[in-house]
Amino acid sequence: MRPLPDWLTDDRETAALAAMLSPDSSSSLEALAAESKAITLRRFGRTMTLYAPLYLSNYCSSGCAYCGFASDRKTPRHRLEPDEIHRELAAMKKLGISDVLLLTGERTAAADFDYLRRSVEIAAQEMQRVSVEAFPMSVNEYRELAGCGCTGITIYQETYNRERYEALHRWGPKKEFFDRLETPARALEGGIKSVGLGVLLGLSDPVEDALCLYRHLRHLGRTYWRAGMSVSFPRMRPQTGGYKPPFEVDDFLLARMIFAFRIALPDTELVLSTRESAAYRDGMTGLGITRMSIESRTTVGGYDDPENKEKGQFEIFDDRTVKEFCAALRKKNIEPVFKNWEPAYNGPSEGKIATIQPGKTKPCH
Amino acid sequence: MDFLQLGSYTFSSRLILGTGKFSNATVMLEAVRASGAQLVTVALRRFNREQPEDDLLGPLSAIEGITLMPNTSGASTAAEAVRAAHIARELSGSPFIKVEIHPNPQHLMPDPIETYEAARILAKEGFLVMPYITADPVLAKRLEEVGCASVMPLGSAIGSGQGVATAAMIDIIIRESGIPVIVDAGLRSPSEAAHAMEMGCGAVLVNSAVAVAGNPPEMAEAFAEAVAAGRKAFHAGLMPKSGSAIATSPLTAFLGAKE
Repeated sequence: MRPLPDWLTDDRETAALAAMLSPDSSSSLEALAAESKAITLRRFGRTMTLYAPLYLSNYCSSGCAYCGFASDRKTPRHRLEPDEIHRELAAMKKLGISDVLLLTGERTAAADFDYLRRSVEIAAQEMQRVSVEAFPMSVNEYRELAGCGCTGITIYQETYNRERYEALHRWGPKKEFFDRLETPARALEGGIKSVGLGVLLGLSDPVEDALCLYRHLRHLGRTYWRAGMSVSFPRMRPQTGGYKPPFEVDDFLLARMIFAFRIALPDTELVLSTRESAAYRDGMTGLGITRMSIESRTTVGGYDDPENKEKGQFEIFDDRTVKEFCAALRKKNIEPVFKNWEPAYNGPSEGKIATIQPGKTKPCH
Repeated sequence: MDFLQLGSYTFSSRLILGTGKFSNATVMLEAVRASGAQLVTVALRRFNREQPEDDLLGPLSAIEGITLMPNTSGASTAAEAVRAAHIARELSGSPFIKVEIHPNPQHLMPDPIETYEAARILAKEGFLVMPYITADPVLAKRLEEVGCASVMPLGSAIGSGQGVATAAMIDIIIRESGIPVIVDAGLRSPSEAAHAMEMGCGAVLVNSAVAVAGNPPEMAEAFAEAVAAGRKAFHAGLMPKSGSAIATSPLTAFLGAKE
């Protein structure tokens, strides 16, 4: 059995974070909240960057026990064709959205790399910032995507507990724990500018997973010094398919995790999606979270056809409109920011180190 | 009158304001007005032509007496910054460009190599280049050589509020520089801005300290007063600082004494 890499198991680096996350921690939740709020305000100001997901396809080749789109579910499958993508993006733009996250399932013939690349090309014409949450790719594929205007890759390890990972990912390419673990590094190697990491809270011991996630981020930061990084806190919600998460993460523990990550990673973007309720998201505004999704649909498409009654990958708990959501942000004295990127900065990140060209230097005697 | 000279432009205010991190555009505009700033920086990534409510360029352009200085925040290479500068000039009509290249989006420290390269290209193209740099006296001179309108060394990390932690290096930069030295980033309080001005800085740039203050317009005004006071003090000439007490019985009294 292949051993876990040292960087994932070295607990010296996570002592401070572990102390904050421990259930019998000496830091009160209120004290952590105050510190997290102060850091967030100083570093990110009174702003919240907004994005929205667009599910391109729900075809999938993997059998994740917890997912509504797993390949054994009876969910009707389809994918958006180029003209539909155009229509969806146009509908999203009408809502003010200019930062889009494109999603697919694991790699299939119906939604393969070429399909994804073409979709990114279309989105990059319409949107100011395009990121992708899809299947693990090769370095060359990531480089190609970066060249088409993809700036960010979101890829969750789901759980860093290998035994649980292998039990939950029953078949398909996602079964490969190490392939998944090495994906963010491949994306950065390929010139993707930022990676979004996370664990699916509820699948395994959440504190153990949070510590591994932190080590993963630190490892990537040391290896790819130009990397932008963000952390999401997706919490298991009732799924299409009826999976019950074995480890419940309550509101208090989730809050503790968000505050502790803000304190441990003062410069990192922290993301909270519409999986969480309006009240929870409003409460977290200004306390640590700096990026939120808005008016999300987790069905394939859905922006151009609001009457779509199809079931999504998971249920949305904050279903407010962009307008309602922005009004709530403003009430908390936070500015919603729709465009926080400039396409002039698109293109593969230059990770190379300049070398002396042969023949250009004189020997020194 | 004591003016700040940047290229062919003169400014009576020596406070430059950043426009990010505010809770809304109205408060930001109030702070700009209250600061009396005549030069204001705005990130190209916050230009939004498709959605006026999300756009910072439009409302800032509408203020009279303000010169805009677009910045390339978000760029991680010289090539990206040059591209951004071209777009920014086309959209804003301003000849100023604040070259801000931070390849690591976590700590936002400026890349000296890419910054030098972008500044060299843009100065040649006729931009008034204002490079954001670490407080490096050699880099500052190299940037002056390629024709920058100023250098903007950081007081401390962006948004850190640690004040002029690089004072010793900034002192050397000021002593050696033939162009205005503008402390950019890290200032938390008006007294720190006054200190930078007393040291001989040509101006200071402030953003977070105003944007996240309890009352941004009031804080902007406080910074304006501190900057003016600091400049006046520099002009008046501070009394020399002495590190040690002077002995009442002089140690050198024996010198020149008659036998």
